[in-house]
Amino acid sequence: MHPLPRLASLLLALVPAAAGASLKVVTTTDGLAALARDVGGDRVAVTALSHGNQDPHFVDPNPNLAVKLRDADLLVDVGLDLEIGWLPPLVNQSRNAAIQPGNERRFTAASAVRVLDVPTGPVDRSLGDLHPAGNPHFLNDPRRAVEVAQALAAKLASLDPAGAAGYRARAADFARRIGAAEQRWLATLAPFRGQAIIAKHPTVTYLARWAGLRIVGYLEPKPGVEPPPSHLAEMVEVARAQKVRAILVETYYDTRTAALVARLSGARVCSLPGDVGASRTASGYEAYMDEVVKALAGALAP
Amino acid sequence: MRYVVLAGLLAAGAAAAQEPQAAAAATPPAPGDAARKAEEHRRLEEQIAKELGVSPAPAASPGAPPGPALAPPPAPPPASAAPLGGNPFARVLMLPDVSAIGSGALVWNQKDVQVVSPRSDPYGPGGKVQPVFQELEVALQSVVDPYARADVFLTFHPDGAGVEEAYLTTLGLPAGLQIRAGTLKSPFGRMNQQHPHVWDFVGTPLPMARLLAVDALEGPGVDVAWLAPVPWFLELHLAYQDTVPGFETVGRRTGVAHLLQYFDVAEGTTLGVGLSAARLDEPGAGAWRDLYGADLFLKIRPPQGRAYLTLQGELFARRLSGLADAGQDGTRLGGYLQALWRQNAYWGYGVRWEGAPAAGPGLSGAENRWTALATWYPSEFQRLRLQVSDDRLPGGSTGWEALLAMEFIIGAHGAHPF
Repeated sequence: MHPLPRLASLLLALVPAAAGASLKVVTTTDGLAALARDVGGDRVAVTALSHGNQDPHFVDPNPNLAVKLRDADLLVDVGLDLEIGWLPPLVNQSRNAAIQPGNERRFTAASAVRVLDVPTGPVDRSLGDLHPAGNPHFLNDPRRAVEVAQALAAKLASLDPAGAAGYRARAADFARRIGAAEQRWLATLAPFRGQAIIAKHPTVTYLARWAGLRIVGYLEPKPGVEPPPSHLAEMVEVARAQKVRAILVETYYDTRTAALVARLSGARVCSLPGDVGASRTASGYEAYMDEVVKALAGALAP
Repeated sequence: MRYVVLAGLLAAGAAAAQEPQAAAAATPPAPGDAARKAEEHRRLEEQIAKELGVSPAPAASPGAPPGPALAPPPAPPPASAAPLGGNPFARVLMLPDVSAIGSGALVWNQKDVQVVSPRSDPYGPGGKVQPVFQELEVALQSVVDPYARADVFLTFHPDGAGVEEAYLTTLGLPAGLQIRAGTLKSPFGRMNQQHPHVWDFVGTPLPMARLLAVDALEGPGVDVAWLAPVPWFLELHLAYQDTVPGFETVGRRTGVAHLLQYFDVAEGTTLGVGLSAARLDEPGAGAWRDLYGADLFLKIRPPQGRAYLTLQGELFARRLSGLADAGQDGTRLGGYLQALWRQNAYWGYGVRWEGAPAAGPGLSGAENRWTALATWYPSEFQRLRLQVSDDRLPGGSTGWEALLAMEFIIGAHGAHPF
């Protein structure tokens, strides 16, 4: 045996192996990783390419992530161009043709949900850094998370027929658990239905619709565009006029402008975990949504 | 300052804007009421600008929309519905990604660079502020079929038009192999393979022009890359190409090898190191040119946020052997080291040192250039760079250089590797 393969196999043995797992699942975000763990159980070994405290639009295409993709039996991405700035070069470097878009070992979560904010007219970048296929920030709506989990279970079942019954059972269990939690979450948020909120970026469109909150403005005048003082002044006026209590900002954004608008308008900054894993306690999907609901209720309370 | 310019951009963009959602609930105000509100708005804007430490926007767009024209979700089509007459957008769906990248600059050089310091552009005649058109790159990118993709980069520049790169890349070869075939930049070092719009600084470092090739070591050929089966990124490239080295006109058969590795040193810290070697045929029996390179890239980026620091450097060596004119035989060395601090999404600052053998007439010894850079990114799709250099020629003579470079990108351009 040549020394190089021997060294390689030695090093491979050092990698924390997923003992007994049949499928290596790589997801682009921690949120998708949580769903894959919920549905896959111990039949899958899940790795996320980015973490919940990162802005998923701006992840570095570190070539070591391509190594993870090389070994993936399934790649789960959000889609709608959320990962357009970093995922394609990694997939191309991976040598794994089966995870290319549209191929059998690629599951794009957006394919399982009804998408909001799909532009109807012509789209160009005068509208800001817009997602032309629609809003990809849909996992903060628990109903859509359940839809993604169920479609993911079907995908896993097709790739690993021996575990099909288990995937389906776990997806059904996830739907049951989230359904029950949803009643609890909606009860917590019920007193605030119809209230006006302001958000930093259209990351909370699905969340607001699910929780019955009205988004009356964004700190960014257009997606990805830094607000000039004139726009912030307008947001202060909107916040005062519409009695906005909460300004929603994900933890991966700078909160300076939000804090300023909040102070001048008498609102509160609501710091939201951007995804599962954004904080140590938001370790699974249910825990993440618990934190989101808690943060919303805390900020919206009179 | 950036708010002023941004607000101008916004005002221009607001022509196509619609009423903000927020205003929809308001009732039409009385005229006196409107004046009072305008005054209140102005005071609020001034206070915000003061607290943020920026100047208030002179031409604020009153109706800057909170978001683009967005539609309610489309109703799901009835299960039995099939579109009549098929998809009218079928042709559009088949188009490759098309993008264009334009770059130009205002340059000022104290000395006549073309004579005393031959190199790649942009530069201008000594002592004058010269507008220069650098390049327009047009990219066409798509998968070819389930087995390969193709990337075509056409370039238009002051000397004419050409093919910058056009190559096929395999997607699913076994054993970690990937083959690129076509006309391509040689897998030699880091910067040689990047297109100009990926570089942090304007223009290549002197040693690349002097020791490799004026624009880039590139040409038709094939590049076989093997991703080693180890848990970190270790890639070995072997390429065979026809390239034209610096200040020559005739192509040479070229063999290139590049070993590249990336290590995750700590959370948010990635180190890339590479070694390159190339051998080129020289005219005449038993004559050849050897090129060697070592490259280093370190990126430190806390996961939360957009700020990062990069450190990048390369060393180059060129050895000519067996030439008819034995006086030209021998080894020449050069290198560069640069650091870039991206403060946030909008600003970046850098410094660079370059050292290379001087190439001006009658000059021998090392030429050293020091550069400072400030970059403003109004958005992801354009940048404006101010770059000032001090070029120190052998013998103590120095030449100051300054340039203001703009760059834009339109269309869907594939994301770049790390």
